[in-house]
Amino acid sequence: MRHFRTLLAHELRSAALSWNTWAAAGLFLALMGGIHYFALVDAARAPVPRSPVEATLWFFWLPLLCVLPLLTMRTFAEERRSGTLAALLTTPASPAAVVWAKFLAVWIVWALFWLAFAVFPFLAEQRLAGAGAHALGEPAALWGGLCFIAVSGLLHVAIGILCSCVTRSAALAALLAFMSLLALTAAGGALETLPIESWEWLGWLREPAAHLRTFGHLQDFTDGVLDARPLVLYGTGTLLCLGLAVLTVEGQE
Amino acid sequence: MNEAAPLPEAAVVAERLTKRYGSLTAVEDLSFSVAPGEIVGFLGPNGAGKSTTMRILAGTMSGTSGRAAIWGVSVALDPAGAKRHLAYMPENNPLPEDLRVEEYLTLRARLKDVAPDRVAERVRRVMEDCDLTRRASGRLIGQLSKGFRQRVGIADALLAEPRVVILDEPTIGLDPHQILGIRELIRSLRGRMAVLISSHILHEVEQVCDKVVIINRGRLVAQGRTDDLRRELRPEAAFTVVTRADAAALLAACRAAEPAAGVAAVAGAGAGGWNTFRVTLPADSPARDKLADALVGAGLALREIAEERFGLEDIFLAATRRAPGEGRRS
Repeated sequence: MRHFRTLLAHELRSAALSWNTWAAAGLFLALMGGIHYFALVDAARAPVPRSPVEATLWFFWLPLLCVLPLLTMRTFAEERRSGTLAALLTTPASPAAVVWAKFLAVWIVWALFWLAFAVFPFLAEQRLAGAGAHALGEPAALWGGLCFIAVSGLLHVAIGILCSCVTRSAALAALLAFMSLLALTAAGGALETLPIESWEWLGWLREPAAHLRTFGHLQDFTDGVLDARPLVLYGTGTLLCLGLAVLTVEGQE
Repeated sequence: MNEAAPLPEAAVVAERLTKRYGSLTAVEDLSFSVAPGEIVGFLGPNGAGKSTTMRILAGTMSGTSGRAAIWGVSVALDPAGAKRHLAYMPENNPLPEDLRVEEYLTLRARLKDVAPDRVAERVRRVMEDCDLTRRASGRLIGQLSKGFRQRVGIADALLAEPRVVILDEPTIGLDPHQILGIRELIRSLRGRMAVLISSHILHEVEQVCDKVVIINRGRLVAQGRTDDLRRELRPEAAFTVVTRADAAALLAACRAAEPAAGVAAVAGAGAGGWNTFRVTLPADSPARDKLADALVGAGLALREIAEERFGLEDIFLAATRRAPGEGRRS
């Protein structure tokens, strides 16, 4: 992992100067701003089961599917296409250092996007709470939700990085990431809705289903429930994806 | 240079290198070496396996079998160790378009383990050496001409003062002025770094290199110093002779000096009755050095006699025509 810091600094700098990052940031803030606006409007009309912040966070899958692939698609695919990845690997920098630096840079950018989103509830609280409206949301729910985004984001970003490693086309990498993230998110939701308990032959799915309930994890985090299982799932999934990414980069000829 | 260490016998070793893609063999049983400080031209027709061999030596591709070593370090067993002694500029010289030249070289210097307090100095030095300081240092690489991009690639290769530099077609796409500049730059590396350079400009290679390695269809067909290869591959010595004598008289005079000599008319009598002939002698004939004396001694009116040059191009053509494996040198 020598040269990791040099590579990470380079990746962060490149991300900050890339139009791609700013376009993704604009799309992300527009999406989340719009969702939060409608959540506030809904909350103002009638009592709702979830606070506007929680309702907005419930839509985390939208930027996850539409914005995150934009951040990860170029990391390796573009460099493979232009040949700069091969040139980078002629230096003593190891493939592992390259993969981890790109992964961490995208994860930091993703986390910064969500921190920027946190400004919306804060502004809404400042502007509206004093007008007699009911509580706009517990700060704990916001920070819990952001913790979920940060933890699950490790795996989501790692999946995007792996998808970018396996192709020279950034568009294809984005498509692969979109489908993989959709499958991961929807699989958890689908398994949650299946009446597994009543189907004996599906009993073996009970345990994996308990692990993959993505929206359940979000609920746990916003409720302040700390469960070790999602941490293990996202941690091991991240390590697996990044390990495969390193092997893919090493094996590229 | 890096830390003082005993010189290995060879800076680059390729030992029975083989690379197969399924049923296609790109490189087969290829062996050669480059001594420390030596500049070696790596030649072959398109598709001969030059770039594949260079990639294997640079560690960006693994060979199917055989051994590659850089400065005594096995590329397969210790790739990071080998890379510390090596700089490689690939054929199409891929560079990030969105970085400025100085930023790119600074990043590469850090990745190549240049001491932090020497990074700025080394970047400035290679930019001066490659004539990048005035016209390119602050520009985005994506805005540079092909010539300047090649210079950036070479500057990158020289940044960490490696023991071994591998340059795949470094002068491709350059204008004559730029080629001259790159040639001088490469010449200046002689004795300091071992350089393995592939190029299609054979005249260029002949001017710069101490030795050539010629491959064809992935196999070694010749290697050695150009003078040695000339002796080995040249079938005969040929002279252009302009004389007033006729073919029979010229042949008689030549045969007096070398019984195996041959004469062929090139052009008939021109103004003043001068004829042009091509005289051939065995390449190792002692008469080769005294043919002019022999013709003058025979009383022939001689206006011109010149030995035809057997350049690297002829060596290349002769070597690549013969069967792989035939007449290899080591």
